[in-house]
Amino acid sequence: MTPIPPPVLRLEEVHKSYPLEQEEFWALKGVSFDLHEGEMVSLMGPSGSGKTTLMNIIGLLDRPTEGRYQLRGQDVSRLSESARAAVRNRMVGFVFQAFHLLPRLSVLENVEVPLTYAGVPGRERRSRAAERLEKVGLGDKLGHRPTQLSGGQQQRVAVARALALNPALLLADEPTGNLDTRTGAEILDLFEELNNEGVTVMIVTHESAVSERTRRIIRLRDGVLDSHAREVA
Amino acid sequence: MAAVIALTSLGSGVTSNITEVFSGLGTNLLTISSGSAGGPPGLVRGGVRQTITTEDAEAIKELGDPRIAGVAPTLQTNAQVKAGALNANATVVGTWSDYASVRNSAVEFGTFFSDADTRSRKRVAVIGFDIAAELYPDQEASGQRITIQGVSFTVVGVLPDKGAGFGSSNTNVFVPLSTYLQRINRQTSVGAPTVQAIYVQGASAEDLDGLVTDLTLMMANRHGTPEPEEYDFRIQNQADTLDSLNSVTRTLTLFLGAIAGISLLVGGIGIMNIMLVSVTERTREIGIRKALGARPRDILTQFLLEAVVLSAGGGVVGIGIGIGLAIFATLFLDITPGIAVGSILVAFGFAAAVGIFFGFYPAQRAARLDPVSSLRYE
Ligand SMILES: Nc1ncnc2c1ncn2[C@@H]1O[C@H](COP(=O)(O)OP(=O)(O)OP(=O)(O)O)[C@@H](O)[C@H]1O
Ligand SMILES: [Mg+2]
Repeated sequence: MTPIPPPVLRLEEVHKSYPLEQEEFWALKGVSFDLHEGEMVSLMGPSGSGKTTLMNIIGLLDRPTEGRYQLRGQDVSRLSESARAAVRNRMVGFVFQAFHLLPRLSVLENVEVPLTYAGVPGRERRSRAAERLEKVGLGDKLGHRPTQLSGGQQQRVAVARALALNPALLLADEPTGNLDTRTGAEILDLFEELNNEGVTVMIVTHESAVSERTRRIIRLRDGVLDSHAREVA
Repeated sequence: MAAVIALTSLGSGVTSNITEVFSGLGTNLLTISSGSAGGPPGLVRGGVRQTITTEDAEAIKELGDPRIAGVAPTLQTNAQVKAGALNANATVVGTWSDYASVRNSAVEFGTFFSDADTRSRKRVAVIGFDIAAELYPDQEASGQRITIQGVSFTVVGVLPDKGAGFGSSNTNVFVPLSTYLQRINRQTSVGAPTVQAIYVQGASAEDLDGLVTDLTLMMANRHGTPEPEEYDFRIQNQADTLDSLNSVTRTLTLFLGAIAGISLLVGGIGIMNIMLVSVTERTREIGIRKALGARPRDILTQFLLEAVVLSAGGGVVGIGIGIGLAIFATLFLDITPGIAVGSILVAFGFAAAVGIFFGFYPAQRAARLDPVSSLRYE
């Protein structure tokens, strides 16, 4: 018998509430699931069901109001702001719908940003950033500004940036939402390729065309996992 | 920043100018002049009856007090002096030989006249730098003859260049007081001849106050005016005058400093404003950086650095303008501003400090932004 490795992440009864004028609004009402090394999952659900909220908690951008969250076996739901930033830096790579590149920096400098915060020295930082951009097929665009690139190219830069520090988890919130079908499919090809190399990927999406390409689908409805929809094994 | 440099330079310039002028006039200097004790200083000459006499000066000299280094009474008048075809307008001063040391007026060429010259009413003269230059442009002045109001004198000494302005001896001609009284300005009144002032040099600064007290008593006795209200003379201590002038310039410098301080405050608030706007405009950037792993401390440092660059840049521009203004002041105001390297460094340091101080609040605001809502910010 081989020992089962701990999951990349484990959510236990995660709740999230937002204060409203009179009462509070519960965007998440007890979400529990595990994500294992090398998995590629889609997170689906109607608008307002809490997908982005959940993503932000998993990515340590936000804290759960209640419940426990373990990342690689470590409880990260009670860490200080500074410690959360460090974990975010090392363990999580974000890809956003709106790309979120820094417009005043070059493509190469954008990919260098997380490496800078990790304290990687200049020379190594540049070579690593260039290597990641090579990998997403933008080795010839290092000096360009983000605005000089197409949407698909910008999203590739974002992927290269998310991968800069070999994160435990790649989180993508509707990464193809601002792209046409063909470039969207190319980005998904890239995710698939990365997943085949062992990167754990979680994609928030509305489109079944996207979710069909992942082995597992997690569905949210009104802040809880949709128990009627079966997870695809 | 410009204001700080220009104003403090001007302030210290004025102070050092005054100190310089006064040390040029002689050290440990007491001035005895006619006038009542209660009268306003500076308005003594002209309107006031002359009551100080050569006999007063002689009496002081005869005291033989070891605290007194020298005594020199003076009388002066403006006159034309001639040498051959050339002439010059001079202030002719009759005095004693001690004048050279008492008023810090040692000769550069030749000698000052002696006590013996005074006793024998010799017709000798010590001339100022400008007079020598005008009357003897091409030759050595000492040994030459000059004519003052028709009386011929031998030049025995020439004074060094004391510059233009207050207290300079450049247009003076000094002759023995006895010769002056006999040949140049014969007094018609009966009794001992009056003088405009008696300069007394103290041997040391510590003794001056005691010396003033004793001389006051002595003069009061001699003039038959026992009560201070009746005094027909005044004794001024140059150190006191210098002190009060310095306190005026201190106030001036303080005032200029206050203006500079206000301009720093205004500049600082300006920087704070710019940084606050910058933080707001770049909310999304801050959110992105946080998502990529920036700690609050990283964001704080980034914005503090920007504030310092901004204010130090302003500082460099200001220092440039300040130096320009200081040079301008030198050219047109006849004040030599002390552009000290120190004050430039201080100004630069201040600029950076202002950046840190006023940049801190905006930077802290940036550091504390919530990453989720910053990312959503449009
Ligand atoms: N800061 C907030 N304050 C109050 N309510 C919030 C806040 N953020 C999200 N919500 C609410 O929480 C619920 C879940 O929002 P969330 O953004 O997670 O939805 P979503 O599933 O990502 O929707 P979409 O598919 O439209 O992106 C929504 O009803 C939303 O109004
Ligand atoms: Mg969403």
